[in-house]
Amino acid sequence: MRTRSVLLLALLAVVVLVTACAPKTQVVKETVVVEKVVKETVVVAGTPQVKEVVVTPTPKPMDAPGSIKLNASGATFPQPLYEDWAFAFSQRDPSVVINYAGGGSGQGIKDIKAGTVDFAGSDALLKDADYQEKPNLQLIPTVAGAVVLAYNIKGVDATITLDADTVVKIYQGKIENWKDPAIAKLNPEIKFPDLPINVVHRSDGSGTTNIFTLYLSAVSEEWKNGPGAGTAVEWPVDKLGRGQGGKGNPGVAAAVQNTNGAIGYVELAYAKSNNIRYAKMINAAGNVVEASIPSTMAAIKDAKFDDRLGAIIVNSKQPDAWPIAGFTYLIIQKDYQDCKKAEKIVNFITWALTDPGAADRAAKLLYAPLPKEVLPRVMEAVNKVTCNGKPVVSK
Amino acid sequence: MNTCTVARRLRHVPTSALGRRLEHGDVLFRAVIALAALSLLGLMVGVGLMLWLNSQPTRAAAGWSFLTSTVWNPVDEQFGAVPFIAGTLTTSLVALLLAFPLGLLIAIFLAELCPARLRHVLGFMVELLAAIPSVVYGAWGIFVLIPRVVTPLGHWLMQTLGTPGRFPYLPIFEGPFFGASNLAAGLVLAVMILPTIAAISRDVLLAVPRSQREAALAIGATRWEAIWQVVLPYGLSGILGAAILGLGRALGETMAVTMVVGNVAQLSASLLRPGYTMASVIANEWGESRTILYSSALIEIGLLLFVMSLLLNATARLLVWRVARKTPEQRA
Repeated sequence: MRTRSVLLLALLAVVVLVTACAPKTQVVKETVVVEKVVKETVVVAGTPQVKEVVVTPTPKPMDAPGSIKLNASGATFPQPLYEDWAFAFSQRDPSVVINYAGGGSGQGIKDIKAGTVDFAGSDALLKDADYQEKPNLQLIPTVAGAVVLAYNIKGVDATITLDADTVVKIYQGKIENWKDPAIAKLNPEIKFPDLPINVVHRSDGSGTTNIFTLYLSAVSEEWKNGPGAGTAVEWPVDKLGRGQGGKGNPGVAAAVQNTNGAIGYVELAYAKSNNIRYAKMINAAGNVVEASIPSTMAAIKDAKFDDRLGAIIVNSKQPDAWPIAGFTYLIIQKDYQDCKKAEKIVNFITWALTDPGAADRAAKLLYAPLPKEVLPRVMEAVNKVTCNGKPVVSK
Repeated sequence: MNTCTVARRLRHVPTSALGRRLEHGDVLFRAVIALAALSLLGLMVGVGLMLWLNSQPTRAAAGWSFLTSTVWNPVDEQFGAVPFIAGTLTTSLVALLLAFPLGLLIAIFLAELCPARLRHVLGFMVELLAAIPSVVYGAWGIFVLIPRVVTPLGHWLMQTLGTPGRFPYLPIFEGPFFGASNLAAGLVLAVMILPTIAAISRDVLLAVPRSQREAALAIGATRWEAIWQVVLPYGLSGILGAAILGLGRALGETMAVTMVVGNVAQLSASLLRPGYTMASVIANEWGESRTILYSSALIEIGLLLFVMSLLLNATARLLVWRVARKTPEQRA
């Protein structure tokens, strides 16, 4: 007991030292697994707190380390997080090895329908045809991401503000120049140069494009009936010769940074970690908001889930919500044949969604975790997973 | 002792002296190499068959309109391949027009005029250029070629040749121009296919018999006349083959093109506008293609590209063989 507390003290000292040198918002976390009690030392802005979390005891007999392999593929947007979660979870339960292979949402959906993976990741909702083909599939929202508009205007150093109408018109090609009165009206303090707008979009099919076009469809009837929403759409501005596509977030960012007068949409996480300047938006409530984890979480609060747990959260009515946001999902089976796998999948998702350490990991990688308002609804579906008709989670 | 003398000696050895064991080895060896060759054929047929079968849904739904429609709208599942075919041909032809003359000049220098010691160094450089990964070319295109070369060049072309209503006006240089464009892709491709064209043309020129040059020089031709009027016409079909092999490489190039072409599925006459190529659209959209029709449309584009490359390569091979058959005598 004595050695343990000495160890803990030493650990705390190290942690405090590290935080003293680090920027003040940084969260340093050490997870020590001792028997069935997990100590999570979370230090926020210099105040150390030690939490003791009792972990559900692993059922006996213990499974051999690495004996249960869970294969998954799909969306690349949450891949860094899923890999991080998989690593952290395998430290808690060494019997599980999770291999998330990426490949895109479309690939994930194809794979889970073909039964070649145990679960899949997708940024896009499943379609009615998918459910008719495979009624056994269940969506589980895991985290949300925000999409921001990066821009490059030589001579403008301030952060610009845009609203739904101007963004739609820029992507329709109707606003052609940064000097347009509609943009000037939103930014009275900024003097815009006479500069044609070059509109950049993703060239690869992507969940980011899906979120962005869902937003454009939500705020504009004309967009909804024209190009519509999807992982790849026919961009009206391309027809005018003023659009271009970049491959992936890096491709869009490079195109924006290399072209004077360019604007393009990228993921918040990517923009933040690469110091790319992005616009503020006026949201549905009429407030000027900045993209961040809290403003993304605000957009999820009043998420309206359909009976398959899909939800579109763009253009949220919440006063401080970032308007261009979307969930990413895991696709699991409602009923598994392999009971060991079913149990581990349920354990993994339960841990990922409810454990504060997992939420910290998500926030650190700039994904917005599920807020407590929506968690019960999601966990209800996770707990309903069965194995050959028998519930995996005992009541 | 060179290979010729070895062959001559073998021919003089009476067959009985070689014994039966070698004959067994011959049979086995023949079977093994035949199998290897057949596996190649099987692979080709397999790929073609896979593309044909998996593109069935689009072929049934869109029919021939797939080859004539300019609309690519994944949301409404309307698929037409014209912008991609046009983009592939445009960028590849631009690349060929730029790389062929340069590649041929390099080849002539290496084969005819270059001092032997420099020839090895330069030849090595040419082959090194071919070994650079295409994604490196793409990154170079984005960060160096587009801002430093394509942007000033494009603006100049647009202002001097591409303004409607002002003489001289060429629609291929019409704006708006933002950097990523068919021209940028053509330039990157030109650099990428240069080693192919230069290396094969050099080999073709080296294969032209020395007697041809000697005859030309003997009747009083200058070095210049011997090269342009005797050596080049002799190797012409082989040089054309080199050009077509370069074109084939340009057609299938994916990564570097995707990074600089702009990826816009619109048909446009202008080289300064962004475009799209067949290989790029497959690479870009495959991962997120949700529906069977969407995937099979991408596979059908793959099928078209497969057929195009096959035809081109077959033509190139025929041309190279023609010149090779004319030249039994190899130059050292």
